[in-house]
Amino acid sequence: MTGPAQRLHPLTFVVGAVRELVALLAAGMTGLVVGGLSTAFYFTLVGLAFGLFFHIAGWATFTYIVREDRIELRRSLIGRSVKSIPRDRIRGVDISTSLPHRLLGLAVVHIDAGADGGEGELNAVSRHEAERLRRVLLTRTEQPRRVLGRMRRRWYVYAPLSGAYLLTPFALAGSLLGTLYNLGDDLGLITQERVESAGHSAVGLPTALVVALAILVLIAMPVMSVIVFTLFNWDFTVHERDGSLVAERGLVTRRSVSLERRRLRGVEFADNPFERAAGVTRLGALITGLGDAAHRGRLLPAAPRPAAEALATRVLGAIPGPLLPHPTAARGRRVARAMAPPAGVALLAVAAGQFWVAYVCAVLAVFAVPLGLDRYRQLGHATGSGLLTVRSGSLRRRQVVIEHGAIVGWRVRRTLFQRRLGLATLFVAVGAGEGGYTALDMAEGDAVALAASITPAWLAPFLDAPLPVDAAAP
Amino acid sequence: MAHWAIEYLLLWGLGFGLALGVAAWIDDSGWDALPGWLSGRVGWLAYLVGAVGLLMVTVAPVWRYRVHRWEVSADVVYTRTGWFSREWLLVPVGRIQTVETGQGWLERMLGLATIEINTASHTGSSEVSGLPVDVATRLADDLAHRAHDLRDDAT
Repeated sequence: MTGPAQRLHPLTFVVGAVRELVALLAAGMTGLVVGGLSTAFYFTLVGLAFGLFFHIAGWATFTYIVREDRIELRRSLIGRSVKSIPRDRIRGVDISTSLPHRLLGLAVVHIDAGADGGEGELNAVSRHEAERLRRVLLTRTEQPRRVLGRMRRRWYVYAPLSGAYLLTPFALAGSLLGTLYNLGDDLGLITQERVESAGHSAVGLPTALVVALAILVLIAMPVMSVIVFTLFNWDFTVHERDGSLVAERGLVTRRSVSLERRRLRGVEFADNPFERAAGVTRLGALITGLGDAAHRGRLLPAAPRPAAEALATRVLGAIPGPLLPHPTAARGRRVARAMAPPAGVALLAVAAGQFWVAYVCAVLAVFAVPLGLDRYRQLGHATGSGLLTVRSGSLRRRQVVIEHGAIVGWRVRRTLFQRRLGLATLFVAVGAGEGGYTALDMAEGDAVALAASITPAWLAPFLDAPLPVDAAAP
Repeated sequence: MAHWAIEYLLLWGLGFGLALGVAAWIDDSGWDALPGWLSGRVGWLAYLVGAVGLLMVTVAPVWRYRVHRWEVSADVVYTRTGWFSREWLLVPVGRIQTVETGQGWLERMLGLATIEINTASHTGSSEVSGLPVDVATRLADDLAHRAHDLRDDAT
């Protein structure tokens, strides 16, 4: 079904031009106000005209064609370039709309074709065309969409727990102040005396006011984090359509990410101790060849554990459980690992005669004991119904669930200390996500047995052979 | 084995030289930040490095040589590496994406080669070093062909 060569939406250059030229325009106006019809103003005007011309020319020379087996993006502004993306390589089609795009009924289509196929962007086409392209490029049959999961209103208050958004008020205030300062500086409003007097009056502020301000900032942190989180993840919906998972989110800029179902290899639950206490977790998908997976693979940014598990079950199948704990010998190792860095620094500090540092590190080492114990408590693995799951970590606990078919290899590591304790770390190599996930400190026999139970054909020749796995233990 | 011995010799020889240099420099500069017990004895550190290096050059290659094994069965590549910590790696031939052979200048002098077996995952990629050149080429060819025949798509 080769279509005709198509252009982007005619209004495209309006958005591009407006967005990029607003700054120039503002500069031009400022120049006009401050210096009248100066050379600077004419320069800006020329820049403006040139920019507009550039955008129009870019639009006029860019075409795309959807062919039987590929999509071609042709650009012939300066030199000709044809980028062709094979359609069977396309792994995802994202549609995003920023505020100006939405006002004009436009959408940006981002085509992701993994590492070998590159990626393409259509900036921008009409909303209708974007939907059509997604349908055409990703699928072969039409199916109604089915909602798999959706953020509830009250889940947005979990935002401060993750910690990721807590610093946003500072970032916002910083950029706002910076902009104001630059603007004021340009307009000649900021002079040496004014800055100095502002500094003096800040020093002269009563203590009560400073304390009140500090408290205000502290309160603002969680509130702002909820607001920012809500802006990014408003109405977060995961639905299934034509063999893809589609995650939509965002209030101002609406983003939608399509993840092909057949490239899904597993899911990952992540949480920290605060989230654990509130029973909240984050759910992500492990997809082969997905760039920026941390953001784009997200299936639920924050949700109560049962809801996340229900979604994971709908996406992948029943999560195996309960997790089997790892041998007690692993506990000592976790605690020792947690204590080693501060204790080591403390020893060095003593050797170097820095007793203060040594005390601080010793206290840290004591606090590391419960951390190590918790790390041990969180270790676990389970397998069943075609899925394998492993869990580890405390401050950032992660549980990954992987399809058996996605495993591309096994790696078993036993360090000197592990060998003495009869432990082994099993690495599960997967061609998605981070490439490998570990089951830390399993009992040696269990590690081999687990691998053998999942892929018996790979291990069988070695289990009986004189050389390998069990026989190799000294 | 000789390859590792030479590599370790070069590395630790360099380390020893550096340590000597640093120690001499610290002695000369009369740096006060050093705690009392250490000043005047910095030179020992360099000899400590040297002693450890000597041990590494003599013991480690033999040890590693005795641990290292590789085997290609019907459709799985198995490797065992390490000396203090041991690692087993099992990669099914069907999941192999590329097979590379390479020779460093040292390896070329000794008539050895290294095979790199890559899968879609970094964790699942292995390396067999110190093979005779002809064995390595034959193995690489063989693996590449079988990987092509057995290819299944889990990537």
